[in-house]
Amino acid sequence: MSHKPFALPSLLLILFWMLSACAPAAPVVVEKEVVVEKVVTPTPVPAPPKEEKIVMGFPRSETLFAQQLTGRAGTPDNFNEWVGWKNRDRGMAQLMNEPLWTIEYAVGEVINSLAAAPPQYNEDFTQMTVKLREGVYWSDGVEFTADDVVFTIEKVKATEGLNYHVQLQGVKNVYAPDKYTVVVELAEPNSRFHTYFLDRWGSLFIMPKHVFEKVEDILTFQYNPPLSLGPYVLHSYDPAGFWTAWVLRDDWDRTPTGMLYGKPKPKYVVFVVYQDPASAVIAQVRHELDAAQLTLEALRAVLTQNPHARAYRREFPWVVNTDPCITGLAFNTLKPPFDNREVRWALTLAIDIISYSANAMDGALMMSALLTPSVPLYLKEYYERMEPWLRDFTLDLGGGETFKPYDPEAPFRLAEYARSRGYVVPEDPEEIKKTFGYGWWKYAPDVAAKLLEKNGFTRGRDGKWLLPDGTPWKFTVLTDPNPGHHHYQNTFAAVQEWRKFGIDVEANVNEMWSTLNLNGQFDVSTAWPAYEPWGGHVDLYRTFDNWNSAYVERELGKPHYGHLSRWSDPRMDQIIAALKATDWNDTERIIELGIEGLKITVEEMPGIPTYTYVGALVWDTYYWTNWPGAENIYAQPYHHWPNFKYMLPFLEPTGR
Amino acid sequence: MRFVRRYLIPRLVQYVLVTWLGITVVFVIPRLLPSDPIESMVATLQAQGAYRDPAAVKQMVDTLRDMYGLEAGLLEQYLSFWKRLLSGDFGPSYFSFPTPVIELIGRSFPWTIGLLLTTTVLSWIIGNVTGGLSGYFTGNGMLKIFDGIVMFVRPIPYYVLGLTLVILFAYLLPLFPFGGGYTIGAQIAFTWDFIKDVLRHAFLPALSLSLLGIAVNHQTMRLIIQGVKEEDYIRYAKIAAVKEQTIFSRYAMRNALLPQITGLTLSLGQIFGGALITEIVFSYPGLGFLLYRAVVNSDYNLIMGITTISIVAITTLILIVDLLYPLFDPRIRFR
Amino acid sequence: MKTLRELLRDARFSLGAVVALVLILLALLSFFSPYNPTEWRVVPRDMPPSWKHPLGTDSKGQDIFWQMTFAVRNSLALAILAAAISRVIAVTVGLVAGYSGGILDRVLMFISDGFLVMPLFLIIVMLAMLVREHMNTVNLALLLGVLGWAWDARLIRSQVLSLREREFTYTAILSGTPMRKLIFNEYSLFVMPLVFTTLINNMAWVIGMEITLALIGLTNPDIPTLGAMLRWAVSYQAMLLGLWWWILAPIAISIALFVALYLVSLGISEYLDPRARIQRVGVR
Repeated sequence: MSHKPFALPSLLLILFWMLSACAPAAPVVVEKEVVVEKVVTPTPVPAPPKEEKIVMGFPRSETLFAQQLTGRAGTPDNFNEWVGWKNRDRGMAQLMNEPLWTIEYAVGEVINSLAAAPPQYNEDFTQMTVKLREGVYWSDGVEFTADDVVFTIEKVKATEGLNYHVQLQGVKNVYAPDKYTVVVELAEPNSRFHTYFLDRWGSLFIMPKHVFEKVEDILTFQYNPPLSLGPYVLHSYDPAGFWTAWVLRDDWDRTPTGMLYGKPKPKYVVFVVYQDPASAVIAQVRHELDAAQLTLEALRAVLTQNPHARAYRREFPWVVNTDPCITGLAFNTLKPPFDNREVRWALTLAIDIISYSANAMDGALMMSALLTPSVPLYLKEYYERMEPWLRDFTLDLGGGETFKPYDPEAPFRLAEYARSRGYVVPEDPEEIKKTFGYGWWKYAPDVAAKLLEKNGFTRGRDGKWLLPDGTPWKFTVLTDPNPGHHHYQNTFAAVQEWRKFGIDVEANVNEMWSTLNLNGQFDVSTAWPAYEPWGGHVDLYRTFDNWNSAYVERELGKPHYGHLSRWSDPRMDQIIAALKATDWNDTERIIELGIEGLKITVEEMPGIPTYTYVGALVWDTYYWTNWPGAENIYAQPYHHWPNFKYMLPFLEPTGR
Repeated sequence: MRFVRRYLIPRLVQYVLVTWLGITVVFVIPRLLPSDPIESMVATLQAQGAYRDPAAVKQMVDTLRDMYGLEAGLLEQYLSFWKRLLSGDFGPSYFSFPTPVIELIGRSFPWTIGLLLTTTVLSWIIGNVTGGLSGYFTGNGMLKIFDGIVMFVRPIPYYVLGLTLVILFAYLLPLFPFGGGYTIGAQIAFTWDFIKDVLRHAFLPALSLSLLGIAVNHQTMRLIIQGVKEEDYIRYAKIAAVKEQTIFSRYAMRNALLPQITGLTLSLGQIFGGALITEIVFSYPGLGFLLYRAVVNSDYNLIMGITTISIVAITTLILIVDLLYPLFDPRIRFR
Repeated sequence: MKTLRELLRDARFSLGAVVALVLILLALLSFFSPYNPTEWRVVPRDMPPSWKHPLGTDSKGQDIFWQMTFAVRNSLALAILAAAISRVIAVTVGLVAGYSGGILDRVLMFISDGFLVMPLFLIIVMLAMLVREHMNTVNLALLLGVLGWAWDARLIRSQVLSLREREFTYTAILSGTPMRKLIFNEYSLFVMPLVFTTLINNMAWVIGMEITLALIGLTNPDIPTLGAMLRWAVSYQAMLLGLWWWILAPIAISIALFVALYLVSLGISEYLDPRARIQRVGVR
């Protein structure tokens, strides 16, 4: 009935997921949602909760309960998110913060939140001008103005220990020519300065000047109760850090959310921590949790037990596949033999993506051949545009032999696999591509063998691969120990494939993994094979700059703050420089450069992209409907993304 | 006087030394781990997805390292730890900088103490009584059945036991909440309603811990009392026709309980480490998860805060019990 | 042999021994497994028990019966190894400290008290993280063995302390028996029952600890043990998805294992002179 690795204790939490975003500034087409239908054969729901049980201190029909992704809050009474990490997904990020701009990856755009328009730079990118939205008020009734922005930038620049303190050192001067305009003068040209204020699961938020100017020590300031620019304000919280409740502001129409999308429907929103996925499942079945991101197995458990529950897709593969993160395998490219691109390619061709997908997610995933996620915008601007080039891309196997590795048929084979497992899969090729991806690399162990042999590798008598120096080839794949994460899935799937190919590969499941990644103490790691791009904007500067050779620490064991693969390429450096000199609003030029950059990553394969992050999102439609499912994508679907506030006006109460 | 010189002073010296040794070991081990508090924090910040450029992150790490005083050598950190500790301060948490460690501990402490103190003491009492009875009166059918149940309950992995209780009593038969310390949205207050609510939430976690605790105490006690039963003085008492009940309670139990008292002391001390798995299964607030997260993030001050309290509690309890031992067992005289 | 026959007369001991024997047989069967325990999707997934797969199959596409044979083998090996290591330490420390007294006794007891007061679980967790990459059955056994002796050493020492006051000690000393001989030939006999009881308790502790560590993700999930099996089952939500056979197998095995150990220990402690055991009760 089920499978796929997922996990247990969400202990090692502080899971860092990045997921996706949301609502268009333009009018949103909202279709009425079809009445609940069954997804999986429903079994009787155990004891439907009685009226009084559901209240939980809040009128249930007016309250939305969502799961807090990063787990129990460490400092529940501290809302000062300018210092350290404050479990912002307990509602601060989604309901209280308004950034200047917000990424909407599912629709493919940048929303002007507090800003009234995109940033304007001068010719040489040393000055940025931002126009602000008028008529926005803090939750205490004070108007939000350019003074708040100026104050924030000055304060953060001046105060050591605040997040973004270092990043703002490039600011020469900041001032407000009028109440709704901010001008930032930069010491060095920086065409991407505004992205510090662009919310993609976090950014630099604006401080209320009238509160913070009276604070002596910002580092120890608790900021409790916090002021809000979003449509909700803090209602109450658990001093033990398990839940945080928010209430709709009376003046919700004086917030960007209200102005852009109208009145959010739930009066209360409560974020709750479930330490064990099993209890989140039970909560959803008992209608005590409306939105949760689980694992594939937990998702199935909810769908089986709760006929009112639905996933992002109503049928297999259920999961959210528009997430702006690419998962896969990153090589430590300073460590032999992974410093050899042909070895990296051999390991790619040794993977049978169908069997890989079966082991990782029982086929419920979107394979991605490029080191950038398959969000709708990138499918259109990168995957489709690059397809002819990908089909022609050729590897030199030596001895005059060549090989074209791209395989546009792979998604259809994956669909076949899903059918063989008894899942209902669309027949339409276009639908299949949108579900399972556009293509991947061929499964060609013989070609992989040729590439290895070309580089001096040999096979031992037992069929196992030997390094060029004749010793057995052994290596490990590093992952974090949370079985619910795709790092874990990728690790065990890769280990299975490479063992089959004849290499002694072991998984290194390690809670210290982020430190090991940082210090280059790994062979292959399943942390993101490329740094995540924006998803809602075509600019890949953010991804590419992490491969900038200027940052590469060549000594393994010393921390490296760029992409963990420590890969760099002079051609990529040129593209990074060219992107930096290109205006953020010049999208055609940015796409051209993006394509050139992606071609280099295909040739070099510094990491193997496997599939776009998929989120096992489950909604209970017992109290709230019109969720942004795959058939009705009006906004990004996650409750832990900042755009959650832009989704709330579209939800419909069922009146139960 | 002889007691003071021959016993009390060496015992006190030992008390101080053992406490010091325990704390020192716990000080050193986390610093051998490859992870480091600053890097953990920065990794978390980066995971927010905020835009950063690598050069800026590097600078940030350097700044923070300086601010947290982690540039200092191990010895220097050790000395400043003791200096701080002796002035009653555990310092700030590194991961939740700058919140003081003592504040983090204080928040979870009441939950852990409430749950674990109750279940530890209760299951010690119940387990020892049932274990004593069934070890002494081996012929009793009821006790035999109880013995059998215990034999099967004890080996169930605790996580599974907890999850089974949740599924049984919070899901199939929704009698109890399946998680949390109290109802979401409830105001913390010393009202009867709130206390009732807390008790309701504590029931399943307490039940799971007690079941296991009773089983362990029962089996240990059963083995001990069987030994005591064969002792000469019990036989003499029987020959002297002392009532069976009197022999059991006055002679057998009393002697058999001695090693169990030391065991109780140790488990009371271990309370301060929290109950990690319980907290996970029941989403229960407490020190266990705090400590676990501190270890994963190398939040040195927080680890030291919790473990120092725990170590001092254990050593002090043992010291007190040792000094009180003659009260329980007249045979023992300080030598 | 005679001992064994006498022991087997005790029904509980026989039952325990039979269960233990079955478990050992299971462990041995693993050497004849038709499947590689680390390979996935070798059989159809999520099949309930059948003739072909007596205990069903799991979501990774592995046969639970054969998987279990490996788990029993690894968990048993772990328990025996760890318990043996800690027994050696406990017996040595207990005998030496108890017999020699004085400074040596103080120092040894100081160390063992240090172990007792430290938050043991935390130390195990941290050390497990430290040896993470080299985590296998042997290293885990070393870790648990080295950390699990302090309490038992204290018990043994108490016993030796009381033996020292007995007449045969004086007789032996007067007749010039060397200390080593005295300890090994005379005392060890008296200490044996205690060693047995604590050995079995310790094995139970090791198996339980392995399961806990596995559940919080600190062991290598690729090495099949009872803990690893349970972790996979739990992380695949076997319980909520109705794959009861997957979660039941490791639980049934751990129960069988504990029950066997408990019954055997009951039998042995009843067989060996009960009077010897009393000594540990009277601390001094």
